[in-house]
Amino acid sequence: MKHEFKETLLYVENLSVAYDDTVIIKDINLVEKDVVREGIDFTGQVVAFVGRSGRGKSTFFKALTGLVPMNSGKILIRDFENPEPNAAKSVKEGNIGFVDQKYTLFRHKTVSQALKFSLRKTKLSESEKETKIKQYLKDWGLENCADKYPNELSGGQRQRTAIIEQLFSSDHFIVLDEPFSGLDVGNIKEVKKAFELLGNSSDFNTIIFSTHDIELAIELAQTIYVIGYPTIDGKQQHYGTIVAKYDLREEGLAWKDYCEDHIKLSKEIIHQMMIS
Amino acid sequence: MIKFLTPFEKVSKLHKTLILSGWLVLLIVIWFATTSGEKHLFPSPDQVLKGFTDLYNEGLAEHIFNSLKLCFISIFLATIISLLFAYSWSIPILKSVAEFVTKFRFLPFTGLSFYITMVIHEARTMQVWILVIFLTTFLTTSLIAVIKDIPQEEFDHAKTLKCNRWEVLWQVIVLGRIDYVIDVIRQNLAITWMMLVTVESIVVASGGLGFLIKNSDKFMNTGRIIALQIIILLIGLGLDAGINYLRKAIFRYSKI
Repeated sequence: MKHEFKETLLYVENLSVAYDDTVIIKDINLVEKDVVREGIDFTGQVVAFVGRSGRGKSTFFKALTGLVPMNSGKILIRDFENPEPNAAKSVKEGNIGFVDQKYTLFRHKTVSQALKFSLRKTKLSESEKETKIKQYLKDWGLENCADKYPNELSGGQRQRTAIIEQLFSSDHFIVLDEPFSGLDVGNIKEVKKAFELLGNSSDFNTIIFSTHDIELAIELAQTIYVIGYPTIDGKQQHYGTIVAKYDLREEGLAWKDYCEDHIKLSKEIIHQMMIS
Repeated sequence: MIKFLTPFEKVSKLHKTLILSGWLVLLIVIWFATTSGEKHLFPSPDQVLKGFTDLYNEGLAEHIFNSLKLCFISIFLATIISLLFAYSWSIPILKSVAEFVTKFRFLPFTGLSFYITMVIHEARTMQVWILVIFLTTFLTTSLIAVIKDIPQEEFDHAKTLKCNRWEVLWQVIVLGRIDYVIDVIRQNLAITWMMLVTVESIVVASGGLGFLIKNSDKFMNTGRIIALQIIILLIGLGLDAGINYLRKAIFRYSKI
């Protein structure tokens, strides 16, 4: 399927994060652009990060969302409030939504209260907010959960609420830290559907997620980054960085059914993970 | 039968009730049996019953009311002060002040009451402030522990929703843990109740259950003392159950 790269949505340059004197991630560079497909209304960007445990994926996500300070580098995202083409701004807390592995929500707010809270800084009127919330609850199959508290929701319902909440509050960017970990087949299907809903609702929606399931990453993402320990001058370093990038769109593997080529790619990714 | 003696064995609700009833019956039998002779250290059921009647005739209800009033006023004031200390714990410049307050719980009771006696002369006010000062140290300790237990994810979640630091404090700690405040009060109620009776027996001028114990103690009226202990225990348990019920009824999301 024909696709075209438009303006830059996410730009990361020489990002490094250290806790005290321990460098966790270093020299991370990446660019994600808006992709438009012929004959498709909206194509959101889905980016996967894979890598062995302890290589700094979560730290990278926290830096990306502004939750931990960077030691060096910069993270820029498209400034949607500025109509100028390619207008960018530095990432601050709240610009990029973040859904953690536990799907954390406010324990004292019902689903509708939580969604209303996440819309509090938008310019929508009260009635527009109500309409938007109702529409999303309907589209995401949460109609019966509007007045439920997080402890009354199932894992899948919690996750969907957390995603909508972050989508309402952030600027089209959502980072999900291992959204498939510990989920059963049914819940994985629900998350896949959530990704589909996100991708189909705006061209600018950008989903960034980490996973240990390489097949799922290949199935859902258009770009896959492998985070691992780099080898410099024959010596393996002890900080995480991007050691490989796979653009499934360029390789003709995105937006198509799983086939032999995907399996080959999966083996290649696993190899990259193992050596880093 | 072996099942009931095996560690970690699960038993049905009916069996649990039967076991509890069995222990109660055994306790009562032992009580009757050991106090049936001429000489006994522990008062007999008859003496305790007489103790109840005497106490009732001497205005037990009014004394209970006085004690409960003192308990509620002290808890209310101590909770307000403790909350201020606990919430300020998240502010770097005030953190050490809050932590310093918690250390005061190791101070002896009498030393402080001596100074309070010099400053406050009205008996009731004196009782209230002795309790408030001591309760504040315990409540602040428990409330800070609740805040420390909040997972980092909850703070991060609030930050990703564009909450500034004060909003994070308000949403995650103040609103997000309001049900825990009630539970902290419930957990510290036993200390409150114990201290209250002690305070009332030290400053006896304004009645209360502590005053009644002190009076009974003076005349070695063991029947009355045990009757009072039973009353104090039952009121304490009632308050505990009441507060727990209140927490669950008000906060549907509260599963502690």
